[in-house]
Amino acid sequence: MLAQQIINGLTVGSVYALIALGYTMVYGILQLINFAHGEIYMLGAYLAIIFVVSIKLSLPIAGLLPLVFLFAMFFTGCYGFTIEKFAYKPLRNAPRLSALITAVGVSIFLQNYVMLTQGAKDKVFSHLISEQINVYFSNFFSKFIPSDGSRLYICGAQIYSLQLVIIITSVILMLLLNFFVTRTKIGKAMRATAQDLKMAHLVGIKVDTVISVTFIIGSILGAAAGVMVAMYYGRVWYYIGYLAGVKAFTAAVLGGIGNIYGAMFGGLILGLTESLAAGLIPGASEWKDVFAFIILILILIFRPQGIFGERIGEKF
Amino acid sequence: MKKFCILLVLFVIFAGCKKEDVIKIGIAGPLTGDQAKIGYDLLNGVTLAVDEWNEQGGVLGKKIVVIRGDDRRDPREAVSVANKMVNEGVIGVIGHFNSSCSIPASRIYNEAGIIQITPASTNPKLTEQGFHNIFRICGRDDQQGSIGAKFVIDSLKKTRIAVLHDKTTYGQGLADEFKKNMGSMAKIVAYEGLVQGENDYTAIVTKIKQLSPEVVYFGGIYPEAGLLIKQMREMGLDAIFIAGDGVIDPEFIKIGGKATEGSYMTFSPSAKESPCAKQFIDKYTARYGDVGPYSTYSYDAVNILLKAIKEAGSVDGKKLADIIHSTKYSEAIGDVEFDEKGDRNVSPYILWVVKEGVFIPLQ
Repeated sequence: MLAQQIINGLTVGSVYALIALGYTMVYGILQLINFAHGEIYMLGAYLAIIFVVSIKLSLPIAGLLPLVFLFAMFFTGCYGFTIEKFAYKPLRNAPRLSALITAVGVSIFLQNYVMLTQGAKDKVFSHLISEQINVYFSNFFSKFIPSDGSRLYICGAQIYSLQLVIIITSVILMLLLNFFVTRTKIGKAMRATAQDLKMAHLVGIKVDTVISVTFIIGSILGAAAGVMVAMYYGRVWYYIGYLAGVKAFTAAVLGGIGNIYGAMFGGLILGLTESLAAGLIPGASEWKDVFAFIILILILIFRPQGIFGERIGEKF
Repeated sequence: MKKFCILLVLFVIFAGCKKEDVIKIGIAGPLTGDQAKIGYDLLNGVTLAVDEWNEQGGVLGKKIVVIRGDDRRDPREAVSVANKMVNEGVIGVIGHFNSSCSIPASRIYNEAGIIQITPASTNPKLTEQGFHNIFRICGRDDQQGSIGAKFVIDSLKKTRIAVLHDKTTYGQGLADEFKKNMGSMAKIVAYEGLVQGENDYTAIVTKIKQLSPEVVYFGGIYPEAGLLIKQMREMGLDAIFIAGDGVIDPEFIKIGGKATEGSYMTFSPSAKESPCAKQFIDKYTARYGDVGPYSTYSYDAVNILLKAIKEAGSVDGKKLADIIHSTKYSEAIGDVEFDEKGDRNVSPYILWVVKEGVFIPLQ
């Protein structure tokens, strides 16, 4: 029971974490809360469904999955890039509030754009394909983990293989991001820009490129979360970005906004809190958001900069 | 040129102010969002009925115009939609869908003396407020809850029950009625609420699975029900699934997929057999495709309202309400007669089951 709730929590939490990364990276560099980021996640989910519906080839799962991810990631990357260029770049030197209001505007625009082009109704991911994906991964995991065909067993917990896929994919993406930020040249430039945008500019870092790359990477991670949610839960509508965005933003603040590791842990902690509170306290499932926000309030009272956040005086 | 522009602007403004000689009726429901499917089912039913009347010259010699109100299943939004309807000068409103929207909105319609006929809100409180001009053309949750409970006790003979709801007036109200009717006949092993609009219900499913219920009763609407049953089956919880009329929509099967097979719902009997219904279904299908579960109700509600206007020869709310209260109507869903409260005086509920991807009435 406990093990199972932990897995449930990690599944939800890793989705939060992936989205939270987009918030935190942009905040780290521009001190901008990109409220449109939840909508990027929603676009990712929609793109996955559109791709699966429109592709006429019958591909094996091993071939189809990477294509779905690449398709969604590519287009959301384009969205992220365009949004930054059109909505935020002209406001780079404007008061911070202007950019914030623009972000809310972009978010509303994207919601309505999807509503008008894709319809106001639910979209459903093909049950057939999600079943095939499940079977494919069940077979794959059953080499390492005891299983009974469609479900896996870890420490007495019964796991649906897509849950494990979400957790593992998220961990891989986070490791890649970590590698990118700490080991590559552009990652170094990102860190420098986050420390001091003006100074980075002075020493010859192409700040505009760094900011674009940040938006693109954030969007790609959000899209990955969207694709996985579309595959696992199967239902998407134009408003899912709002709720997910609020939760992910909470996760980013919880972990210390601006800090990448903070966003990862913040997401996982938020997911675990929700799941454990809902699962272990009788009658509490309807209050699970309350527990999540109690944790946030406690952290903000005792550690206002968040779990991993550093108090950086000169920036504020 | 400048003068001409000003004149043109003034002309447009005054043209806009001209009192149009039409009869306005409102349709209010979730036209966008996760329940938009149902909102459009209602709207289509209304539009079809209004077009039929307009083809025959409207009512009282005037054209009928439909005013849309989108409440997005949000009670606050419903109140502002209701105010908008009153300001628009509608004679009557068909709506809302959710009880949590219909109840606060009904106070505004009542104050303004406008007729409200809800095609789908089943929470008993709506008609218990003593409002003379509020009608309900569907059944009530106390009737529906008792039919559901009776089915579990008498036909399924199950005794370990988990009751879930979506925390809305409708969902929780229905779950409470069901629970009350189960009484001491069964053990309620869990009574939990879930958050509407979310995707992940694995935490709650894991929790109730531990309590090994034989039946899961859900008070709520189809998007949550579809996700819930899908996750129940994925997590290996094989309890029988029973829900209310908010779930009986093809979208439920679309979202839940194979997992929905064999789940039960309480809803009114199919009206396909009566000649009046057949005519409606043919027309609707030709124009919009499949008939939604509540399209017939909104279609009938419009007809009742317009017949009352025709009979009254005026658009006075009090007069219309009196007429609707005292007349016996024969509509596509069958004979409709309202009692003092504005409810129908029959209990229209039977059990439906999902079989091979379609809803089938249980004999």
